[in-house]
Amino acid sequence: MSGEDQERFEDYLELEQYIEQLQAGRVAHPPAELTPSQANIYRMAALFRSASPEASEPRPEFAADLQARLEQELQQRPRPVPQPQPAQRKKEQKKLHYVSRRALLTGGAAVAASLVVGAGIEHAVEQASTAKTVNDPYAGHLIAAGVPTTWHFVTTLSELGDSAVRFATDTVVGYVILNDGDENSKDKGKIVAISAACTHMGCLVQWQDSDRKYHCPCHGGLFGEYGNIDSRSPIPYIRPLPRFNTKVVDGKIYVEVPLKSAAPTTQDWK
Amino acid sequence: MSTLHNNQGQSHLARAERGIAGMQVTRREEGVQEFQTFYQENLSLIYRYVFSKVGNREEAEDLTSQIFIKAIRGIDTERGPQSMQKWLFQVARATIADYWRVYYRVSVNSLEELLEAGWEGPAEEEPAAISSRPLERVQRILRALPEHYREVLTCRFLLNLSIKDTALRLSLTEANVKVLQFRALKRAAELEPITTGAL
Repeated sequence: MSGEDQERFEDYLELEQYIEQLQAGRVAHPPAELTPSQANIYRMAALFRSASPEASEPRPEFAADLQARLEQELQQRPRPVPQPQPAQRKKEQKKLHYVSRRALLTGGAAVAASLVVGAGIEHAVEQASTAKTVNDPYAGHLIAAGVPTTWHFVTTLSELGDSAVRFATDTVVGYVILNDGDENSKDKGKIVAISAACTHMGCLVQWQDSDRKYHCPCHGGLFGEYGNIDSRSPIPYIRPLPRFNTKVVDGKIYVEVPLKSAAPTTQDWK
Repeated sequence: MSTLHNNQGQSHLARAERGIAGMQVTRREEGVQEFQTFYQENLSLIYRYVFSKVGNREEAEDLTSQIFIKAIRGIDTERGPQSMQKWLFQVARATIADYWRVYYRVSVNSLEELLEAGWEGPAEEEPAAISSRPLERVQRILRALPEHYREVLTCRFLLNLSIKDTALRLSLTEANVKVLQFRALKRAAELEPITTGAL
């Protein structure tokens, strides 16, 4: 592939540092801005490291901890993802829409909250986002009322350029981008925060500067800068990426995200 | 007035929810059992795959947890273990792709080059990549390498020797070892697609 004439002395040293860190069992990341052929060298180092004697199997404590966490997660799951009977699902959805809408209209969303109690955050997000008005496809609350939230600091106005900035919390991953008014001039200067969970199957979409779109790694879905479905998206049936509330305080951009554990209140469940 | 509407809505829904919840109880218990088997069968597989991408235990554990937690939220326990595994692998690949992009911070152009070069991206990775043991892949690559490359990589990685000990063992200077391991890994990366038969 690429000739060895391009190797620099620093490349050897950087690689050696990376290998030493891995040998010591520490977290190590390759240097930034690698060429593809350099990146492959680091990729190989990680692969080879996994063949070392200490690397083979997960620790039993880790295995047990994770299993306990997953079982808890499974218990909290309100129902299996495939809905038992299509007819029933349809009915339920219809009701849900009706109520969420009303809840929105009346300003109190207690009803919407009761719908998602016991649901994982994704469910909450998904269900709440079905409540939207005709005029604005992005309207509606991403997080249902009743789900505890927190304001997560993402970046500052001065640092936010014209690219999307990724953020991740314990519960969600998303992007923040400055609306430059190209879609609708009255929105110019607003901060838009969207969820990175693809509305198709929940894979995390990736912002790409080159075409200013979010790309879904799983099925190639495409979303525009503000989360709208791109006309060239190969998956036509997805909804826009739902949005988070944002606020700017002293030039700092915050996004309202669900708190770590939206613990279900079991009484609503019985 | 609005309160009244809300209350009515709530009781309707509460009833609907109760009905569904009742039906799901046994289903859910079965699901937990199935899940335990599924977990035991796939944990090492996923862990080793992740380790082979990040090269350290801490992140391997962290990402393995993330993968299982993400997977379980969308998993369909009724479709049988094969379909569940397929879903798990899909989540694993997406999570790893995400990880590399975050930590490599490659410029967009080179990211595209990477993807074109068939690197770990959103592009379809051959399904066998997760199930095939990283150790076997390493050994296939080692066998295909010239001897001096194989020796240096064996010392540094399989035997976990320091640069100093490797230099002693191979009668080289430490500087030589650094150059040699760099070129050996580079050559290994070039060989990998050939040895795995993919691409």
